Amino acid sequence: MWDQVTVIFGRATGRVVENIANFLPGLVVLCVLILVALVIALVARVLVFRLLRGLDFDRWAIRSGFSILVDWSPERSPSRLVAQTVLWLILLLGFLAGLSALDAAMPSYFALTVFGYLPNVIGAIIILICGVLIARFLARSVLIGAVNLQMQSARLLSTGVKWLVLILTFAMALEQIGLGRDIVLIAFAILFGGVVLAMSLAIGLGSRDLVSRTLDRQMRGGVDRPEDTIDHV
Amino acid sequence: MASTGSNSSAPAAESVGDAHLALPVERGPGAAAPELVIGIGAYNNAATIGAIGGAVRESLRGSLAGLSSRVVLAEGGSNDGTPDLMREALGPDARLTQVSYPVHPMDLLQEVYHGLPGRAHARAAIFRTAHELGAAACVILDATASNLAPEWIARLAQPVLENSFDLVVPYYLRPPHEGALTRSILYPLFRSLYGVRIRQPLAADFACSSRLVDSFLALDHWPDEAGGAVDLWTTTTAVAGGYRVCEAALGTRRHEARDNTPDLSTVIVQVVGPAFGDLQQRAELWQRVRGSASVPVFGEAPSDGPGEPIDVARLVESFRLGYRELRDVWAAVLPPSAIIALKRLVASPDSSMQMDDELWARIVFDFAVGYRLRVLRSDHLLQSLAPLYLGWVASFLQQVRDATPQAVDERVDRLGAAFERQKPYLISRWRWPERFSS
Repeated sequence: MWDQVTVIFGRATGRVVENIANFLPGLVVLCVLILVALVIALVARVLVFRLLRGLDFDRWAIRSGFSILVDWSPERSPSRLVAQTVLWLILLLGFLAGLSALDAAMPSYFALTVFGYLPNVIGAIIILICGVLIARFLARSVLIGAVNLQMQSARLLSTGVKWLVLILTFAMALEQIGLGRDIVLIAFAILFGGVVLAMSLAIGLGSRDLVSRTLDRQMRGGVDRPEDTIDHV
Repeated sequence: MASTGSNSSAPAAESVGDAHLALPVERGPGAAAPELVIGIGAYNNAATIGAIGGAVRESLRGSLAGLSSRVVLAEGGSNDGTPDLMREALGPDARLTQVSYPVHPMDLLQEVYHGLPGRAHARAAIFRTAHELGAAACVILDATASNLAPEWIARLAQPVLENSFDLVVPYYLRPPHEGALTRSILYPLFRSLYGVRIRQPLAADFACSSRLVDSFLALDHWPDEAGGAVDLWTTTTAVAGGYRVCEAALGTRRHEARDNTPDLSTVIVQVVGPAFGDLQQRAELWQRVRGSASVPVFGEAPSDGPGEPIDVARLVESFRLGYRELRDVWAAVLPPSAIIALKRLVASPDSSMQMDDELWARIVFDFAVGYRLRVLRSDHLLQSLAPLYLGWVASFLQQVRDATPQAVDERVDRLGAAFERQKPYLISRWRWPERFSS
């Protein structure tokens, strides 16, 4: 019996040692990959920061409607925020690559899932950036156009358009990353409908004069704004 | 295709086919080069072309009777009988050469303040025809003018033919509320930049010498089709090239009322945009120019009087609304001192609202610099100028309410002088924009 215990113990110890021996190279690879990723990430951070600073990214970000980035950024510099994000992204990729080198089922599956999900996240980020740019462009177009039409509710109209586009953008981004699809869809429909209704009421109440003037002008086939009666050139 | 075609009984009509005029226009067997070409660009101008043709006919029979001349109609493919009406109005004695120029679908989609789609192509077609005919002078007339007088054509042509001027631009006597964009921005800007006092830098009716026509045709880059680019380009090219320029007093000019007249903000984009664009292209030239000089004015023309009264209160209201809603947009272009000055102006009572000339000059220069630096999309930037401009118009109309045309001119002169005084500010901002960024 003692012999059997010794044999079983020997086998168990052997398996443990074997497992440790099998695991150790993966761990070394993980450490090496994290180290390499850290070096690459640090270099990339410096390069990205210098490139963005050279392109005057901070000012562009503020002008393009991403002024909120300033508050979130270290030292109030969106360039630094982007560089820092790049650093952490590369570190994360290095860590995930290292996990798959461990040859363990769970970590490998986790890494593959995250890698597979990454395109959706990048897609959502691109949608968000485009949406914010489009919202800002449309909001400014509507604001200037409405002021030149002498609409008293120009600001309201502009804000409404901006939020319509932003809501649509957020809904699309969440759809892209697959978060709560039904809830997002329903919430979007409610919000969108609400905003449209609010805008209709606001424009209807705020621009009664404009509508009546426009109708009157069309009925009479003439113009009544003073700037329309002037030959400017 | 080019053909000659003139006989004694009917006006000859030559169809050249394309604006690029691959084939030369022939003068006709044994015919000498005409001294004068009168060019008209037209596209569906049936309402006015008859009157213009009549004025040309009267002019050729009257004060220009001794000259050999050719009328060139650059036609964009009208479907309202414009060429036939022109031929009819000219009568049997005039020699008409009809050239066609291309009008692209995009030209037709765009509403332009002058009403002639593809204006640059039309202008090029006329210049090429004048060049190939060997004309000594070329008078360009706008087909939308509803009160073109026969003597205007002679007044425009004579300084070129008799006094060796290269460019004759019109000097209209207009009621205070007309041509406000020219008075408030184009004239003072042009004067301060190039040192030449031309009242109508954006000339639709003008005359030029063969020398100047040749230099236009020799240039590779013509302005794009949008808006008033080609009109301003004509004048700036002549002035920048050192050509002799003068003005011809023509009186009051009226346009045919059109259904598709663009709104004010579009007019500003079409008119002020090319002026700001020109600043960028000729930056080295205008930064060297100091002061300004008048050009000779030929003739005298009576004014039609003060014109229709304008509701200044509505203009002030537009300005105030603009300040309230567009202040943030303006802040991207204007320095804080200008925003503070505008705030004071907004707070002043309607009747005493007076925009300071120096402030207005700096605002225009700030927008020009903003246009160059692309602080906003160019159309947004220019459209946001509209309420400020209306504020200036309100202020100006209150100042010249009962003034004579001469007094109005003097007032505009003072504005031009203010632009000259503020030119160092423009140069500083242009050269070192970062110093002014907040």
